[in-house]
Amino acid sequence: MPFQQGSARTRQRTVLLVGIVVLLAALVLAVVLASLLTHGKQEVSPKMLKWKDRGTTKNLQEVILGRCYNYVMARYPELGDKDCLKIWESLKHAFIYKNPCNITSEDYEPLMELASHPISCNKSLFWSKTSDLVHRYTKSNQNFLTLEDTLLGYMADRVSWCGDPSAPGINYESCPKRSECESNPSSVFWKTASKMFAEAACGVVQVMLNGSIEAGAFRNSSIFGSIEILNLNPDKVSAVHIWLMHDIGGPHSESCSGHSIQRLKTILEERNFKITCEDNYRPVQLLQCVHNPDHRDCRLCTST
Amino acid sequence: MMRSLFSSLLLVSLLFMNSFSEVQGRKWKGEGTTKNLESIVIGRCYDYIRIVNPAVGEKNCSEIWEAFKNAFINKDPCTILPKDYELFINLSWHTIPSNKSLFWENNHQLVNSFASRGRRYMSLADTLSGFLGDFLNWCGEANSTGLDYESCPTMEECENNAVDSFWRMASITYAQHSSGVIHVLLNGSAVGGAYPVPGFFADYEIPNLQRDKISQIIIWVVDDIEGPDIDSCGIHTVKILENRLKTLGYDVTCTDNDKSVMFLLCLDYPDHSKCTLSSSAPAAQRGPLSSDRGGSWNKLMFVSFAGFLFRSALVY
Repeated sequence: MPFQQGSARTRQRTVLLVGIVVLLAALVLAVVLASLLTHGKQEVSPKMLKWKDRGTTKNLQEVILGRCYNYVMARYPELGDKDCLKIWESLKHAFIYKNPCNITSEDYEPLMELASHPISCNKSLFWSKTSDLVHRYTKSNQNFLTLEDTLLGYMADRVSWCGDPSAPGINYESCPKRSECESNPSSVFWKTASKMFAEAACGVVQVMLNGSIEAGAFRNSSIFGSIEILNLNPDKVSAVHIWLMHDIGGPHSESCSGHSIQRLKTILEERNFKITCEDNYRPVQLLQCVHNPDHRDCRLCTST
Repeated sequence: MMRSLFSSLLLVSLLFMNSFSEVQGRKWKGEGTTKNLESIVIGRCYDYIRIVNPAVGEKNCSEIWEAFKNAFINKDPCTILPKDYELFINLSWHTIPSNKSLFWENNHQLVNSFASRGRRYMSLADTLSGFLGDFLNWCGEANSTGLDYESCPTMEECENNAVDSFWRMASITYAQHSSGVIHVLLNGSAVGGAYPVPGFFADYEIPNLQRDKISQIIIWVVDDIEGPDIDSCGIHTVKILENRLKTLGYDVTCTDNDKSVMFLLCLDYPDHSKCTLSSSAPAAQRGPLSSDRGGSWNKLMFVSFAGFLFRSALVY
């Protein structure tokens, strides 16, 4: 009967169709698997150099851009002319596709120019071995600015980056430590930015040092000692005021009359800066007391 | 003569209409959307999950931005409700460590400093959702997919605006996920009282606290260093708050002028009598310094020591 003959042909056609569908599915699966495997391989390219420190911060572009706009729009609207996209591009071009042990200050020149902004006199606050305390202070008291409170430092703080000659040019797996090579993107960046920060300072400048560390409050090898004090301009900077802080309940390894402070004073006086030094600058000590309210060094005169 | 009078009247009315239409161009009284809002929000999102608090794990920041935007875009900016942010909240939610919640009223900057970006306490602005919106402004417009950068409605113009509804939703969720010992920092110098009603804490946070998750509520009432002592524990609005919480079944304690917070306020008034440390010498002069200051350091030390002895003698 015609209907039954038709059904046999239909069955053949169905088998053929099913076969084609299965074949297509297998092909798609193969393509997907292949792309996943190669994609994974690309992210960890065997050609990329391997280092000991953490790699480039993921989503670096979004973080840098967001911070740039945030700083300009929400914190210092008078800098409204900053082109954040250009700033990001100039940062990227400083290190992308380059060997991360061959970075120079010149690589960062375009970025430094685009991101620099004037700093009011008497506001520059340098620091050495007091990172946590000094930044808590500038967060609560906007009369002072550390490098990390300028646009450049704000964008780069706690973020890392480095490039690699092979694609995609940015190494998200690892970046060189200073001990592996000195001319790495991070060290060169902070050295260049610190130099610029020191050059821009005017009026009275402040520096917060740590009098509780054994190695001494001032070290010639620190960024402050090796770059910043050497780039202060005696025609713009009138005085350097040292705040020598001791940990609450911590050792008084050094005070204003200590050896390394004397050494620092000599270096600065030779360049005609006036220097003063204060042990435990009161406003900063009050900030330390926030975390140690019951310590005897934090007793208030008014408390019973 | 009549014609020249008529022309000048016409000119004046034209000018008036022109300036009037300029005012009309600005729809609302509040400032407009923050410029580059999308880049700032997405950037803050990645900043938070990669650097500020990586413990929250992976989040899809583009998705979070889309959910945030869709809460208020293409709608009349006076019709935005807290639940419009539900998807955004669900995508950006993360657990709040126990004993770290810090609620507050009338001391935004102080709380930001005191919480230390989540290290001591985790205020709403230290959670991802709060971190994204803190100090920003935004609104959309009906029949347009764009943001209004010119102006946005204030609370007075309409309650259901994009920003206030955001903070309501964020506050509700923050309260719901708080546990352990929770702290409330109130301003004892605030006009109208330390515990404002209506207010975010009163209307959106207290009703959403989970009693079975909270072991204790500690209230701190702190006066501005040079401010009046309008409110304190046990009186006026603080008494109302304490009673309300006790009635709800919470274990409540209240402290006036907690020392930690006082020290933070003292940063701006280091020489104020409320801020003088009994252990230190009088503060050396700050600001521009005279050239012989370095040389007279020893003299200052002697005078300070003498002053300290004198003060000790007075005290004892």
